Amino acid sequence: MNVQEYISSGIIESYVLGLASEPERAEFEQKCAQYPELLAARRAFEKELEQFASDHAVPPPVGVKVRFLEAIGDQSSRDRSSSNQPKIIPLEKGSVRMHSGWSRFTAAASVILLLGFAWMAYQFYSLKGTNEELASTNAYLRAKATTSDSILNQIIVEQKVVSDPNTTVVNMVGTQVAPRSSANIYWDSTSSNVFLVVKNMPKLPSEQQYQLWALIDGKPKDLGVFDATNDKVILKMKNTLKAQAFAITIEQKGGSPSPTLQKMQSLGKITQIQ
Amino acid sequence: MASWYTDPGSPGSRDCELVLVPLFSLLSASIYQQTLGTTTTYSEQDLIVALKERNNNAFSYLYDNYANALYGIIKQIITDNHELASDVLQEVFINIWRKIETYDQTKGRLFTWMLNIARNASIDTLRSKSYQNSQKNQELADNVYKGTNNQTTRLNVDNIGLKKVLEKLKPEHRILVELAYFKGFTHEEIAELEGIPLGTVKTRIRNALLQLREYLK
Repeated sequence: MNVQEYISSGIIESYVLGLASEPERAEFEQKCAQYPELLAARRAFEKELEQFASDHAVPPPVGVKVRFLEAIGDQSSRDRSSSNQPKIIPLEKGSVRMHSGWSRFTAAASVILLLGFAWMAYQFYSLKGTNEELASTNAYLRAKATTSDSILNQIIVEQKVVSDPNTTVVNMVGTQVAPRSSANIYWDSTSSNVFLVVKNMPKLPSEQQYQLWALIDGKPKDLGVFDATNDKVILKMKNTLKAQAFAITIEQKGGSPSPTLQKMQSLGKITQIQ
Repeated sequence: MASWYTDPGSPGSRDCELVLVPLFSLLSASIYQQTLGTTTTYSEQDLIVALKERNNNAFSYLYDNYANALYGIIKQIITDNHELASDVLQEVFINIWRKIETYDQTKGRLFTWMLNIARNASIDTLRSKSYQNSQKNQELADNVYKGTNNQTTRLNVDNIGLKKVLEKLKPEHRILVELAYFKGFTHEEIAELEGIPLGTVKTRIRNALLQLREYLK
């Protein structure tokens, strides 16, 4: 590369004054590292520019320096608030500086800042509190919506089963052991689906469960276990093609192979002729 | 309610200290700076090291030595509003303080770096919406109270430093430097504004800068 040509293309001036494009800058920086004469030429222009700027300097208003130093004093003390021991400067009585307009201004500004910070912190904490409240309410409502949705879906299923003309409804009534127990069986004899709706079954200890049986020609057939907690919600039980009656017994959790008849809770006979 | 006045040691009161401590150090820092003058002198190398350490004396020194030159540049760009120009100067020094870590000596002198910060801040201010609005109001006020005098005062203010040198350039070169350097338009924008090819904009600006450099000496 012809360095002299590159130098006289005006790239140096364009780069230093901040008018070069990003690719031009990258190329220039790379070449500066490569060609010392290019670097020297750049430095020379930078010095000229600095000289020109200081020849045409304009003194700014006095207050700017004080404001600048205050601003960085503030920020640097915030940056290292714990590591820096504050310096103690004895205040002389009647010190002229302390009575200057600026001191008063900074004192007043500090008080205003303090109030401002206090207000912002208050806002921050109260908003934080409100936000947390809203978040927990939101989570609660969401959980509630999920539960409601699943209940609604179950109701829709129940509604379909109940209104189906092929469904046989068997009203299960309490036995002498449990006179108040009651439930409904919805038995679709074409699809052999069995649904159970608990109307009133007492809560059981955790190691026990209710078990539904179909009685076919005097023999019991297991139709699955259920808990009393799903009150008034339809439960899908095991299918059966045949049944003359249904019975509910209390069994160990998970169910038994044959029913414990002395603990039979409710019984329902199918009245409809198959 | 906020935990502003809870017992010491509770989490709330610790948060509270975090807010209060800088405020008190702000007060003491301002007293400190007003009481103690800065007398140290630095070589450019030492100055850069001290600035990167965020030494307040170094920043005070930096201000004393460069503020006038930078203010001169700012006033070349913000020509008509002294108050705004001095606000920009303050902002420029705060930006220098903030960005000093990013200053890379291999890419240019400290002054060059600061000059570019000053130029960018000035152009950003000129382009800001609030300035544009104040400008409209100002022009309206000028028209009402000063009438035709407005034009002459503006010319006088412009007639210093770089801009004076600029007048030595050919008009077609001058306008390009004016737009690129003092108004911050990109080469592409200028090509569109002036209806000339991008390549021509680039070469004209470079040639203009080379000529300007001759006049600067």
